[in-house]
Amino acid sequence: MFEALIQGLALVLQWNAFSLMLVGMALGFVVGLLPGIGGAATLALMLPFVFKMTPVEAFAFLLGMHSVAATTGDITSILFGVPGEGLSAATVVDGHPMAKNGEAARALGAALMSSLVGAVIGAAALAVSIPIVRPLVLTFGSPELFMITVMGIACITSLSGQGARAQLKGFAMGFLGLLLATIGQERQSGTLRFDFGLIYLWEGLDLIPVLVGIFAIPEIIDLAVRRTAIAGDAPAAKLGAGVWEGIRDTFRHFWLVVRCSIVGVLVGILPGAGGGVAQWMAYAHAVQSAKDAKDRSRFGAGDVRGVLGPGAANNSKEGGDLIPTIAFGVPGSGAMAILLGAFLIMGLHPGPDMLTKHLAVTYSMVWTLVIANVITVLVCLATLPWLSMVTRIRGGLILPFLLLLVFVGSYTANRQIADLVVTLGFGAVGFLMVRYGWPRAPLVLGFVLGKLAETYLFISMARYGYSWLGQPLVLFLMALTVFVIVFPYFQDRRTHAA
Amino acid sequence: MRPSGPVLFGAGLAVVAAYAVYAALGWPAKAALFPLVMGIPLLVLAVAQVLLELRAAPAPAEPAGAGSRALAVFAWMVGFVALVLFGGFAAAVPIFVFLYLRLDSREGWLLSGVLAAAAWGFFHLVFQRLLHFPFEAGLMADWF
Repeated sequence: MFEALIQGLALVLQWNAFSLMLVGMALGFVVGLLPGIGGAATLALMLPFVFKMTPVEAFAFLLGMHSVAATTGDITSILFGVPGEGLSAATVVDGHPMAKNGEAARALGAALMSSLVGAVIGAAALAVSIPIVRPLVLTFGSPELFMITVMGIACITSLSGQGARAQLKGFAMGFLGLLLATIGQERQSGTLRFDFGLIYLWEGLDLIPVLVGIFAIPEIIDLAVRRTAIAGDAPAAKLGAGVWEGIRDTFRHFWLVVRCSIVGVLVGILPGAGGGVAQWMAYAHAVQSAKDAKDRSRFGAGDVRGVLGPGAANNSKEGGDLIPTIAFGVPGSGAMAILLGAFLIMGLHPGPDMLTKHLAVTYSMVWTLVIANVITVLVCLATLPWLSMVTRIRGGLILPFLLLLVFVGSYTANRQIADLVVTLGFGAVGFLMVRYGWPRAPLVLGFVLGKLAETYLFISMARYGYSWLGQPLVLFLMALTVFVIVFPYFQDRRTHAA
Repeated sequence: MRPSGPVLFGAGLAVVAAYAVYAALGWPAKAALFPLVMGIPLLVLAVAQVLLELRAAPAPAEPAGAGSRALAVFAWMVGFVALVLFGGFAAAVPIFVFLYLRLDSREGWLLSGVLAAAAWGFFHLVFQRLLHFPFEAGLMADWF
């Protein structure tokens, strides 16, 4: 195994593979900055180019591109409040307030370093777990996956803020998100729900226009109303000086970063859960890890832990995602389904062969994840002081470009003009939510998990009736869900008692 | 008494939830289950929130002109979407950047022109040349 590991490294460092990885990384860098064109869409666009490549070159090119897109998505999220990737929306919640407080460089340093740690943990998980992951993946059927989504939804309690009123608003938004996820054709009976006679709504609402509208447009309106730069009147010296502070933050909260990376790996392994879920669950875990209610209230206003958690999970999930793809040919996400296409183009068959005959190719993927992230983080860290200066540009000058980013990004997700209208609509709703103090994170969490929850529930009911409710792992996950809901209240009571 | 913004927002949410529940009642059980399970608690919570807002002290007034400025920016966004609809992205990108910089930000002709050209250049290079991304031409292309 060790020999294959070294052989994998040597394969990636070959001139052809390495230079193609750099080309892929450059593409991934640009794509990551643009909302809408996610890593999956870019993989699909670039798939035709791999026909003439060897397997190692193809995976270096594709994975280099995909893993960098996940990392650089955090940059626009933090600097402008515009989620660079659908997956990096959770970074907006605390990252952009940090930029507004003049701590853009610190937030970026923290996001990049935690991304690197996450990527390494994800790659390590991929390297060591392929032989042992089979029982874990096979243990998780629809009932268990349904309970995982319910546990994710239960994180709403942590994302809603302090006090009964905030919890009420948080749960209302969570239910609204879940309700929005039901728009479109119901998969069991084919019934069209809330389609208002529009063919556009048959497929349901897409995540990108909803996310970009809810998070980015209120920030752009706020910038226009303030008539200042993003960082307000923060001194220029402070802006660029925080990079090392952000890096130190990663190691100051190292166990949080490790735990959130593990959350990312586990969610990545589960089929269908996706990176957005990993980020929000990691964010919720970071909030839950706060010492007490007062400590927890700092989240949402620019707490670096709210950047570290999602940053780590975003990249560790890549390693987790690859595990079932390589080991069983079961893709964990849309991007991995496209990567599976690359396997077939290369004449490789995921499964036992990848763990024996092609083990060196498998390990070359592990090394690609690590090397691509190390190079990206080093390049970004070198340019961060300048990047963070973007937050000093006059609002009036930068605003039309932010609007372009938002609308071009929303359009590129599905190439439908109607997506622009959805972005506008959710932008207005997001603006009112911010204005009247309604939390946005529970709505997004509900929306992301809603469809999955409904699908898994129906499969569970169709396959097992009600008997799945008594399965041991389901009961364990139920207990864990109750713990996730009750823990913040328990913590509050303990704080009050003290 | 004129209802406040928070009351109207809560009431709007209640109306959405009520419609969802009403619509779901006419569907087969399988299709109706999830919307009902989500819609009913949303309706209850939204009504509770409206009642709480009616009893709450009025919110502090926002800075003068903030509301109209927010509306103006939103109108620019609607304008951009309309430009895209009629002229397509390739035309809308430089026109929007130029008009916004000139009319809203009151920048000079030269800077507005240079930045509009830069925006078009970036759009053309990245999306059309590099990624070969297909963009719709806009309704005007069908007219001429």
